[in-house]
Amino acid sequence: MAIFPSREWVEAVLQAAEKSEKYKEAAKDWEGDFLSIIEGDEEFVRDLSRREVMEGFISFLDMMPSEARKKFKGTPMGDVFEKKLGVPLDTPADKFSIDEMTSMASKLSAEDIKGACTYFWSDFWHGSVRAMKPVAPGEHEDATFKLSGKYSAWKLMVSGRQDTIRLVMSNKLKLEGDMSYVMKHMKAVVALTKEVFAGVPID
Amino acid sequence: MYFEIDPKIREDKGLSLLREETHRFAEEVIRPAARKLDRMSDPEQVIAKDSPYWDVLKQMKKLGYHRIFIDPDYGGLGVNATEAHIILEELGWGSVGLTTAIGVDQIAPAVASLFAMGDVIEKIVKPWVEDTEAKYHGCWGVTEPECGSDYIMACEESFLPHVKELHPGEVRADKDGDGWVINGPKSSWISSAPTATHVGLHVTLPPHDNLANGAFCIVPLEQEGVTKGKPVDKLGLRDDPQGDITFDNVHIPDDYMLIRPPFYEFRIGQIICATSCFMGTIFTGLARAAFEEALRYSRERIQGGKPLCEHQLIKQKLYKMFEKVESSRCYTRKIMEHVWERIYIERTFDASSRHALSAQIYGKRSAFEVAYEALQIFGGYGLTKDFLIEKLFRDARAGLIEDGTTEVLGLAAAYNIIEEC
Repeated sequence: MAIFPSREWVEAVLQAAEKSEKYKEAAKDWEGDFLSIIEGDEEFVRDLSRREVMEGFISFLDMMPSEARKKFKGTPMGDVFEKKLGVPLDTPADKFSIDEMTSMASKLSAEDIKGACTYFWSDFWHGSVRAMKPVAPGEHEDATFKLSGKYSAWKLMVSGRQDTIRLVMSNKLKLEGDMSYVMKHMKAVVALTKEVFAGVPID
Repeated sequence: MYFEIDPKIREDKGLSLLREETHRFAEEVIRPAARKLDRMSDPEQVIAKDSPYWDVLKQMKKLGYHRIFIDPDYGGLGVNATEAHIILEELGWGSVGLTTAIGVDQIAPAVASLFAMGDVIEKIVKPWVEDTEAKYHGCWGVTEPECGSDYIMACEESFLPHVKELHPGEVRADKDGDGWVINGPKSSWISSAPTATHVGLHVTLPPHDNLANGAFCIVPLEQEGVTKGKPVDKLGLRDDPQGDITFDNVHIPDDYMLIRPPFYEFRIGQIICATSCFMGTIFTGLARAAFEEALRYSRERIQGGKPLCEHQLIKQKLYKMFEKVESSRCYTRKIMEHVWERIYIERTFDASSRHALSAQIYGKRSAFEVAYEALQIFGGYGLTKDFLIEKLFRDARAGLIEDGTTEVLGLAAAYNIIEEC
C-alpha cells in the first residue's frame, strides 16, 4: 500500500506504467502533458493526522528542489506549513519533525487549509510516462491539460474506485484542455486509471 | 419456429431459457395488452389509471426490464449485450410501443448511473431501480416544436461544425442560485410523456446560441411549472402514449444536470448509440412478429385450391422477409455488442455512431418492409382489425418517424462516415 501522494507512489506508478502492455497499447497515440492540482479538503486534513500519510506527503514534496519549494511561500499551502505546521515548506526534509507535524495536523480544520494546493506534472507520451513529479505553483502552467479537484476526488480516481469520466462529468474533477482530443483517446485515459493508477493500491 | 443461428447462444441453456421466459411474457402479457391499448378510441384511455398500460409497466418493472441499461454497480440488471438483445427482441415481438415505454423509462437513471455521483444517485437512481410498482416512470425529452429529428443531428459529433444551421433550441436552462431553472416546450412526440414522473431532458445553456451548447438533465415532472399536453391520437404505436411537455420556470438542483459542457457536445451521441441499438433490436422483434404472422396465415389460407405458401410468388415474399428478419437480428446484435463493450465494459464511451445509427435504421426499415409484405400476403383481410398484422404494419410505419426519421438518422450517420471512414 502506497500513500497518495508520496515518492513511493510516484515510483510505483512509473513502474506500473512501464510494465503494463495494456496501457502502452491503449496510449500509443497519446501526446500530452498534464498539470494536476490537488486541493486540500477535509479528508486531506484527516489523513495528514496519520503519521504515515504525513511522512509520505513530505517525501513527495521532497522530490522538488529547494528552489521550487520556496515558491510556495505566501501561497495557502506555504502558509499551512509555516503557520499551522510550524515549519516553512522549503525546509530540508530531514529537518522536519514528522511526529510533531502529525500532531499539529490533527488540530487542523478544513477551513485552515482552504485553497492549499499540491501540484504534480506528468508527461504522457506514446504509451510511456516520461515524467511524473511534484512542481511548484506557476510551473508547467502551459501543460496541454490541467486536471484539478479535491484530494478526496483524486483518491477516488487514483485508487480506481471511481472512473475518471464519472469524476470529471460530475464536476468532482475539472479537466481543462482540448476536450475533443481527450474524447478521441478515451482508451488511454481509461487504461491510465484502470491499468496504471489502480495497479498501485493506496492506503 | 425460432432457430438461433449462433451455436454459442443456441447451446447456452441459460440464454435459451431467457428467450423462452421473455417470449412467454411477451406473448401472454404484452401482446394482449398492446392490442387492447391499440384499440382504445381515445388516447386518454391508454394513460388512465385503470389502463392495462400500468399493469404491463408494473410487471416489466417486477421482472427488472427497467434496469437493463443501468450500470450494474448502481442496481442495473447486469445483463450482457447478448442477453439484452434477446430480451429486447422478444419484448419488441410483443409490442414495440410498450417496449418503448420501458426503454425511455430508463434513459435518465441510466445516464445518472453511468456519470453521476452524490444526491442524484440516492434520490433518483436507487429508488428507481428498486421500484416494482411503477411509481417512477421516465420519458426522454429531445425533440421540440421548431426542431424535430434535427435535434438528433446535433447529437452527432461529426455534424458539430454545421450545428448553427439548425434552430438553436427552445427548451433552455439557466443558472439560478445553486440550481437551474428551465423554460420552453418539448414537442408532442415525447414517448411516455403523458404517463411519466420524470424526464431525461435535453436543454440548451446560455447564450442559447446552438443545440450543441447544451446539457442533459433529469427533471421531476410532478412539480409546479410543468404542463403536459393531451396524448396524441395517431396512426401507429398507439400503445406508446406520446405528448408534449412545457416548462415554465421549473427548478432542478445542480446535480440533476447530468451531462454538461464540454461533455455534452462530445458524449451526448453515446446516448443515441444506446437508444439506436435498442430501437433496431425491438423493431427486429416486430419484423419477426410480422413474418411469423404471414407465414402462419400463408399455411392456413387456401387460394386457388392450395395454401398461399404453395404459390411461387408467396414463397418468394416469405424468403425475402425471412432474410430481412435474420439479417436484422445479426446486425443489430453485433452493433449492440459493440456499443455495450464501449459503454458498459471498456467505459470509453466511444461507440461508433454510424454503426449504431445504421442498426436503428436497418431494424426499423426491415420491420416496415417485412410488415408491408406480410400485410400484402394477408390481402384484404390484412386491412381488417381481425388480424394482428394491421397493427404491426401501422407500428412499423410509425417507427420510420419515431426516435428520429430514418432520413435524418441516415444523414447523421453520413456525416460520421465521411469524417471517420
